[in-house]
Amino acid sequence: MFSKDNKPEKFKDAETIIGASVKVKGNFQGQGNIIIEGALEGSLKTDANLFIGDQAKVVANIEAKDAMVNGEIRGNIKAKGYLAIGNTAKIFGDVQYSELSIDKGATINGQILMLTEEHKRGEKTKIADSREMKETADDNQ
Amino acid sequence: MHVYIYDEYLNKNKYNRAVNRAEIRLTDLGLNGKIIRLGGIKNIKGTIQGEIKLGAKTIVAVGNNETVNKIVSAIIESDTYGDFEKKTLLGVIPIGDDNSIAYSLGIKNEEEACNILLARRVERIDIGLAGNHYFLNQATIPASGTTIEIDDYSLEVKDGGELKIINLLSDPKETIKSNPHDGRLEILIKTRGKDQTYLTAKKFRVSNPNHKLLVDGAVEAETPLEVSVIKNKLNVIVGRDRLFE
Repeated sequence: MFSKDNKPEKFKDAETIIGASVKVKGNFQGQGNIIIEGALEGSLKTDANLFIGDQAKVVANIEAKDAMVNGEIRGNIKAKGYLAIGNTAKIFGDVQYSELSIDKGATINGQILMLTEEHKRGEKTKIADSREMKETADDNQ
Repeated sequence: MHVYIYDEYLNKNKYNRAVNRAEIRLTDLGLNGKIIRLGGIKNIKGTIQGEIKLGAKTIVAVGNNETVNKIVSAIIESDTYGDFEKKTLLGVIPIGDDNSIAYSLGIKNEEEACNILLARRVERIDIGLAGNHYFLNQATIPASGTTIEIDDYSLEVKDGGELKIINLLSDPKETIKSNPHDGRLEILIKTRGKDQTYLTAKKFRVSNPNHKLLVDGAVEAETPLEVSVIKNKLNVIVGRDRLFE
C-alpha cells in the first residue's frame, strides 16, 4: 500500500514514467510500476502499481494492482488491491477496488464498487476457464 | 596477435602526444601488435575480415566514438563474425573528444585503456540497431515532434528537449538504470520543462519529419526507422569502472 507522500520511494524503481510533455495513444500495458504525469488515450493496464500525477489527463479504462490517482481520468478504474484517490483527482467513470481511501476535494462521477471475494473468484474462474480452453485448443491442434 | 586500428584523424599533430603515450605504454606492457591506419583504407570490412582470418586475438579501435562505431559495424557485418565471436575481442583506446563509448566501458584515457587491454576483463554486451546502423552507446534525436511507436501504442513528445535511445549508459549522473545484457533499450526523454519520460522496449519505430537520428554521436540516419536490440552480440574488453553491472 502507499500514500501520496511515499510515491517517490514506492516508485523509485518505476518501470515506466510518462512525463508531462508526452502523450500516449493506444493500449499501454506493463508488468512493473507505472507513473503517468502526461496524457494517455486508450487503455492502461499493469500487474503492478500505478501512480497518476495531478497534471495527468487520462482517457482510458485502467487496471492495476494498487493505484494512486491525483489527476483527471475519463474511464473506469479497477484496482485489484488498494486504491487511493487524492484531493486533486477528477474521475469520470466507475471505480472498483479492494481497499479504498478518498481525500477531501476529490471528484468522482460514477459508481463505486468494492471487489468482493465473489468478483475475485469469478476472475480466477475466468482465468482458469481461458487456460482450460487454451489447453483444449492446443490439444486439438 | 593484437590489431590496432587507428582512425584517420589521429594523423593530426595535436594527437601525436596521446598516440605516443599509448604506444609507449603498450610496449611496456608487451602488447605490441599490428597497426592499421584507416586513412589509407577504403574497405574496412575486408581489412578486418582478413585480420580475423589471420587469427587476430584482439581488434582495438584507437580513436573516438566514430572509430568504434565503424569497426563494430564492420565486424558484425563481416563474413567472419562467427570466428570473431569465438576467438576475438574488441578493445578501445580513446584519444581526443567524443569518447562516450569508452567512458561507458570504464575506459577514461589512453594509458588506462592499455592497462585494461592487459587485464582482459570481458563482457558480452547487447548491440543496438537503428535501421542499418549499429550502435553500442546511444542514439539521440530532438524530442519535439518525435513519435515512438511500440507494439500497439505510440508516444508523441510535445516540448523541446532530447530523446535518447540507450544501450550503454555514458552519463554517470543519469538516475536511470541501463543494462546492456537485458536485450532491451532504454528510451529517455528529457524536455525543457524538466520532466522526464522513461521506458524500455525491445523493438520500436522512431519518426521525426524535421530531424535525423544521431547514432553513437557519429552517424546521422533519416527517420522513420526501426530500432531494435541484438542481445549479447559483442565480446568487449571493459574496465573495472564500467557504467553497468
